[in-house]
Amino acid sequence: MPNLLEVRDLSKRFSSGGGPFRKARSMHAVNGVSFDLPEGRVIGVVGESGCGKSTLARLILRLIEPSSGAVAFDGDDLLAKTPAQMRKLRARMQMVFQDPYSAIDPRYTLTRAVAEPFEVQGVKPARPMAEEVAELLEMVGLNPGLASSYPHQISGGQKQRVGIARALALRPSLLVLDEPTASLDVSVQAQIIGLLEDLRTELGLTYLFISHDLSLVKYFCDEILVMYLGRVVEALPDTAAPARHPYTRTLMESTFEPDPKKRRLIAPLEGEVPSPFDLPPGCAFADRCPQASALCRTETPALSSETGHAVACHHPL
Amino acid sequence: MLSVRDLGVAFGAVEPLSGVSFSVDKGETIGIVGESGSGKSLTAMSVMGLLPLIGGRITGGTIVFDGQDLTKLPERAYRKLRGGKIGLITQNPMTSLDPLKKIGPQVDDVARLHLGMNANEARARTEEILGTLRIPEPALICDRYPHQMSGGMKQRIVIAMALAADPDVLIADEPTTALDVTVQAQIIRLLDDLVKQRDLALVLITHDMSVVAQTCDKVVVMYAGRAVEYGPVEAIFDRPRHPYTQALIACIPRGLDDTARLTGIEGTVPTVINYPKGCPFHPRCPRAEAICATDPPTFSVEGDSAAACHFAEVAHAQPA
Repeated sequence: MPNLLEVRDLSKRFSSGGGPFRKARSMHAVNGVSFDLPEGRVIGVVGESGCGKSTLARLILRLIEPSSGAVAFDGDDLLAKTPAQMRKLRARMQMVFQDPYSAIDPRYTLTRAVAEPFEVQGVKPARPMAEEVAELLEMVGLNPGLASSYPHQISGGQKQRVGIARALALRPSLLVLDEPTASLDVSVQAQIIGLLEDLRTELGLTYLFISHDLSLVKYFCDEILVMYLGRVVEALPDTAAPARHPYTRTLMESTFEPDPKKRRLIAPLEGEVPSPFDLPPGCAFADRCPQASALCRTETPALSSETGHAVACHHPL
Repeated sequence: MLSVRDLGVAFGAVEPLSGVSFSVDKGETIGIVGESGSGKSLTAMSVMGLLPLIGGRITGGTIVFDGQDLTKLPERAYRKLRGGKIGLITQNPMTSLDPLKKIGPQVDDVARLHLGMNANEARARTEEILGTLRIPEPALICDRYPHQMSGGMKQRIVIAMALAADPDVLIADEPTTALDVTVQAQIIRLLDDLVKQRDLALVLITHDMSVVAQTCDKVVVMYAGRAVEYGPVEAIFDRPRHPYTQALIACIPRGLDDTARLTGIEGTVPTVINYPKGCPFHPRCPRAEAICATDPPTFSVEGDSAAACHFAEVAHAQPA
């Protein structure tokens, strides 16, 4: 399969301005991220809060401008596009947001919410809008009878379905899913995940799935990128691959299984994710890592993939 | 240690909680699990005697702690108990700490109020507790403000406050929901150790069946303000007999060992004003029959566990 998305050395640096009482600081939210997303695959990006996964999603759709690097979508260099060209392209790359409560205008009926992408893109559907909206609502498992309801009249899970219907309206090829189930109850999360699986097969979609939940990512994705403080520290080529980076192993061990027989003595990682501002040199994980050596504190390990299983660690497992 | 029997709660004419029973002993952890709106936090508030604050009242049942029925306890006596013998850990550590007060004085207040200690004694106790919670340099931390600390550290401070008066029962309402997974693992481990070392009775309220599987001895599954199934954790995971419990377990991805498709549960959790008649789960239940829509099921007991389902006898053998 050809690559639908090629990301090369993508970086985003934010800086907070200094003032009379404060030094200027800078943070590398996303630092040199590269990967290929072949058509029809699902890549999961997993990491804890502040690891840069949502920033990465926004950079890929060019909702924010990268500091450096390149993104190619279907062979087109996105960063060379003018805003008008970009808008046209966005019809083919859509995003589903974490919080369906704030992603839909509360004053819009569901019809208007789902029809909004057509309006924005200046596209006229081939058939009457009402029919188009009804089909989209059905596609995401909503009763078309809800078309004239307002967001406050439906549940959180239904709102997320509307969010997905909006994203699908213009028949995109790539969906970037930014924690699409994080604000939902587990029973509803499972519904939405099932729906996304069905849509993927029916419509031949390609997904970039962002989540903090490793067991969900393992269930849903073909490949997994593990991020820590802006960098990809490991790229698992398939979900059965054992962890080679100590951080990935910790993530796996911190994820409980819903089975009391698999109870284990957790040896939790010390400390927490450090502040991303002005990181010290070396591996960002060194301070929490049980096998850190002097080398880890001076030299940042590069993501190397001799075996097709890339890991950024001086002492991989 | 703490025993709740047939608890019911009302706000005016609506009754969001009814028929909730559970008990927990020293050195034991009980999980109360359910989705949003199932009444698990309301159960915690009832035990803490905080219902009047939000306009609710207890309509029936008993909450027996240490031999006395808390539902009949006057507010003055409750005040001694709350934060004293019964400690509470809330979901969001960011809002349960006073942002304008240093950590030390906040934790000291508990021991001063409940144990009648003077300022020096209370501070010594605070530092000792922070130490047992594996907080580095307690003296330094006492001099910090909440905003200078990370989420996991703040949650530890909240736990320290709950422990300061040497409670017998600890109620933890979603203590790890706001935290990252690696920090969640730290806090769960910490609570586990505390139960064993201090012989605490822990009531762990959560929406996460994996957390229950990892830490609890017993579990109560709640749905729409009712307990639908309870029993020892192994039994409930091994032989869930209520269709809701079965579905709740099936909703969680199990990583690699299991490739079963996640299907979720059709429909959504009902809200208080439209609790269904009969069995509250019947509109979403794959095996519901006519009787489920009319008659509320009673508990069918099997060993130490019980499920409130008309088909509990056959539900495990023939899942719908």
